[in-house]
Amino acid sequence: MPGSSTAVPATAGHRHTALSLHLIIALSMVASLVVSVAERGLAADNDRGAQLAATCAACHRLDGHNRGILSIVGLSEEQFVTVMTAFKSGERSGPIMQTMARSLSNEEIQILARYFAARGKETQRR
Amino acid sequence: MTGWTRRQFGYLAGAMSIGALRPLAARGQAKAQVIVIGGGVGGATAAKYLALGSEALDVTLVEPKTRYTTCFFSNLYLAGLRSLESLTHGYETLAQRYGVKVIHDSVTTIDPVAKNVSLEGGAKLSYDRVVLAPGIAFKAGAIDGYDAAAIEIMPHAWTAGSQTSLLRRQLESMEDGGVFVLVAPPDPFRCPPGPYERASLIAYYFKQYKPRAKILILDAKDTFFAQDVFEDGWSRHYRGMIEWLPGQFTGGIKALDVKGRLIKTVGDTFKADVANVIPAQEAGRLAHQTHLVDQSGWCPIDPMTFESKLQPGIHIIGDAAKAGNMAKSAFASNSQAKVCAFAILAALTGSERFAPHLFNTCFTLLAPDDAVTSAISYGAEPETIKVNDFFLSKIGDKAETRRAAAREANGWYAAFTHDIFG
Repeated sequence: MPGSSTAVPATAGHRHTALSLHLIIALSMVASLVVSVAERGLAADNDRGAQLAATCAACHRLDGHNRGILSIVGLSEEQFVTVMTAFKSGERSGPIMQTMARSLSNEEIQILARYFAARGKETQRR
Repeated sequence: MTGWTRRQFGYLAGAMSIGALRPLAARGQAKAQVIVIGGGVGGATAAKYLALGSEALDVTLVEPKTRYTTCFFSNLYLAGLRSLESLTHGYETLAQRYGVKVIHDSVTTIDPVAKNVSLEGGAKLSYDRVVLAPGIAFKAGAIDGYDAAAIEIMPHAWTAGSQTSLLRRQLESMEDGGVFVLVAPPDPFRCPPGPYERASLIAYYFKQYKPRAKILILDAKDTFFAQDVFEDGWSRHYRGMIEWLPGQFTGGIKALDVKGRLIKTVGDTFKADVANVIPAQEAGRLAHQTHLVDQSGWCPIDPMTFESKLQPGIHIIGDAAKAGNMAKSAFASNSQAKVCAFAILAALTGSERFAPHLFNTCFTLLAPDDAVTSAISYGAEPETIKVNDFFLSKIGDKAETRRAAAREANGWYAAFTHDIFG
């Protein structure tokens, strides 16, 4: 257990205070580790989402404009995954999107779904 | 207002702006310098995505021209279906919205040892990385008599702009009953369906205004991309108007007599009223001069990063790159530019790297309401880029499918050019 220590002053009162301090430091270290791991995971997901979405941007405008090719920004996570999975299996027709969907792993489809759902909320706020 | 700004991309891109992952910025050092040379599809896309990806980079784009006319869709202009202006784009948004420093000048030399780039105007720019997108050059001496003067009489129109408008003027002034000869290049060349789409759309123009005119394609090759689909389209839309002669029939194109508008093959001499000569191609001049080219005439690269295999620190994207089985197309250049930009961001800012995605999509018009599509996904391997998955329209598609694809093509052009320049 990080933070536990034997090098503590001898008196009980001091000992109590010292232990608490150590405990607080230890807990906050653990907490910050947890937060930074979570943040990095989330950030990496967003980063990966942004990079994957760059591929989509060659045909779909990502600012919500729609001229001839449907906008994909603002689809909910669930809608996006449903549509892409249907393209991937061939259940939904459209040869370009079928080829594109087959080039993505299920994990990548999930990441894109989260990315576009978040972007949709961002676009609405503006 | 609804544009994709640098700040918003950063907000969502997240990791790129987390302190620990930005060693250069965190240490308060000067920003890393990336110079993108060439403002075509590959270069402009790379500049935009590099600038979007991190504020820890200074991104400079060097391009002599202030406006870029896309070669893709220029066959629509030749057919009178689009203006050249509608195919022309500027660099203002890259500069204003994304913070790319745009310099309109020509690069004279790249020094890979001192890591600097010299400009014709006298400036010398230091770099951490260069992205070179030089496009194509035409092989000198491939056809006897095809020199700088010949190009003004028998245009290639394979880089868009004044060459394209010259060819259009010639087609407009051609008499009904005249012969238009298109000389198609050997592989590999920019835009594999391009010459045959051009023949299709010029036939569409002739059908309306010069119905007795003929089109003769003299090909260096014995087969071409989507040949059966094109030939089916020609027989449905332009019966008897287009004749295609393969290299094995003519023995290959040998020489031009520009004054007489004669095209000489091994076996015959053909007289043209208008001639469009698209010569054999190789990587652009600067790639040769910087020793980035191998015996093939193209630039060998690492498929994961598009960094040159011959000069470290220089990345080559677009038509000039020797990218395995990837087609030389605008879409492919845009796709490569993104993979390259993310690899450079990872190297210079420490952002995380992910598996590259390389893709190509193509809309090819047989007639204004009959478009053929293709889609290809690729896999980057250590030594090459391979086709993973491939789709191409087929003979016998429903007319409505082809009509829908033609409508989609216009939407795609708007979105795609927005992705590059907007």
